[in-house]
Amino acid sequence: MCEEEILRLFPERIRRRWQEVAKYAEKLQEIRLRAGAPLTIFIDGKERFVNAEGQIVDRQEVAARQESAELEEILKHLCQYSIYAFADEIRQGFLTVQGGHRIGLAGQVLLDDENRIVNMKYIRYLNIRIAHQIKGAADPLIPMLYERGRVVSTLLISPPGGGKTTMLRDIIRQISNGTAYGRGINVSVVDERSEIAGSYLGIAQNDIGIRTDVLDGCPKVEAMMRLIRTMSPQALAVDELGGTEDMQALRTANGCGCRLLATIHGGSIEEVMQKNYMRYAIEDGLFERYVVLDRAAGAWGIEGVYDRERKPCIRR
Amino acid sequence: MYKAIGIICILIGCVGWGNLRVRQERERIMHLRIMYRILERIRTEIAYGKHTLPEICLILTEINDMCYGDCFRHIYEAASEGGSGLPELWKAEFQDFFAGQPIQEEERNAFAGLPDRLGFQEETGQAENIGQMAAFFLQRGRQAEENCENRTKMIRSVSILAGLLLTIWLL
Repeated sequence: MCEEEILRLFPERIRRRWQEVAKYAEKLQEIRLRAGAPLTIFIDGKERFVNAEGQIVDRQEVAARQESAELEEILKHLCQYSIYAFADEIRQGFLTVQGGHRIGLAGQVLLDDENRIVNMKYIRYLNIRIAHQIKGAADPLIPMLYERGRVVSTLLISPPGGGKTTMLRDIIRQISNGTAYGRGINVSVVDERSEIAGSYLGIAQNDIGIRTDVLDGCPKVEAMMRLIRTMSPQALAVDELGGTEDMQALRTANGCGCRLLATIHGGSIEEVMQKNYMRYAIEDGLFERYVVLDRAAGAWGIEGVYDRERKPCIRR
Repeated sequence: MYKAIGIICILIGCVGWGNLRVRQERERIMHLRIMYRILERIRTEIAYGKHTLPEICLILTEINDMCYGDCFRHIYEAASEGGSGLPELWKAEFQDFFAGQPIQEEERNAFAGLPDRLGFQEETGQAENIGQMAAFFLQRGRQAEENCENRTKMIRSVSILAGLLLTIWLL
């Protein structure tokens, strides 16, 4: 992650304002742009503001306000002036840009007769989440993700922004390349939102290992089935499980002998089990390891690692 | 003797000027055809490939006719590596490229202003919009082709006539 990558998120005309912020590229987590509201950034988990001169300030009263027209210009720039190419992503409320950075969008949605979102207009809120690849983030976990030289199915659990995707990415990289605990295996990645590999023009922008195949932008369930049929993976990685269909597909993959690497939102295993579709999967032992992450847990954010019976392997 | 050589030179010069004008007219037709083909390709890539404009520029670098491919390469490289704004890059590149070319200002501005037509949130609408632009160039090309023969004859006749008049006037 370099300054240049942050600056390239903005049109040339307004880059000067973001030069100071870009210097904190390594620690920058989010840039929040809301029409008429102060320019807000999150550095190292702390909320800061940006003034008209581009300086980072603590007080919102002196911060510059985001103009609507400029917001539209930024959106066009992020879409490479080809908004039509991002129509599906905009409909879903996010888009992924070069470098794997994810832009959350909010505005007014347009619905069809069946209350499905067909489009979004008046996009006035952007949340630019800066992607950070932290090589080695999974180092403390790796010994626990192998049993007798083979990778075990693992579920990463954390609240939003807890570092699930970062951790999953590094796990994929390490098990794909091979570690001291097991040789490298073929990993297929379901990257529905282009967050794991950060693919641009089909090429992964992040290092996800030498034996990794990525199906980018495809809905999870279809992607899982397709990858199992076509890429014969030994492990299947999927981010942010979110429904019964996802679990059905995961069960199918597990039945095909694939190891599973998945993430889900939640604060603990118990919280995750409150979701019906997850409770059955956990009780059936679909996963052999549960990794609970929390930024507050310090280095790498690992709060605890649990086995199939939900007994702690390690716990802070 | 000198007079005869002078007359021949004047006549050759005028005919040469006429030929140059005819060639420019043919070049314009060629430009219009290429621009139409490019716009049709862009339309197709948007409608069926859903590619972004920088990606389309990369695809279009394969066009070898009249250095258009080089323009698209420059735009793609500047947009993807430098992260510069695409509309400005496109306009600057084609304004420069068209500066010495025998095409009309309206055609020049229409092609250089293509990024202004981008902004649709849906690929079919965007492709149709580019399709309208392609239709404009197709129509211009057809008109130019239809008029080409008559214009060629006229330019050649005028150039020869101008040569003869100039000769008579100098004598």
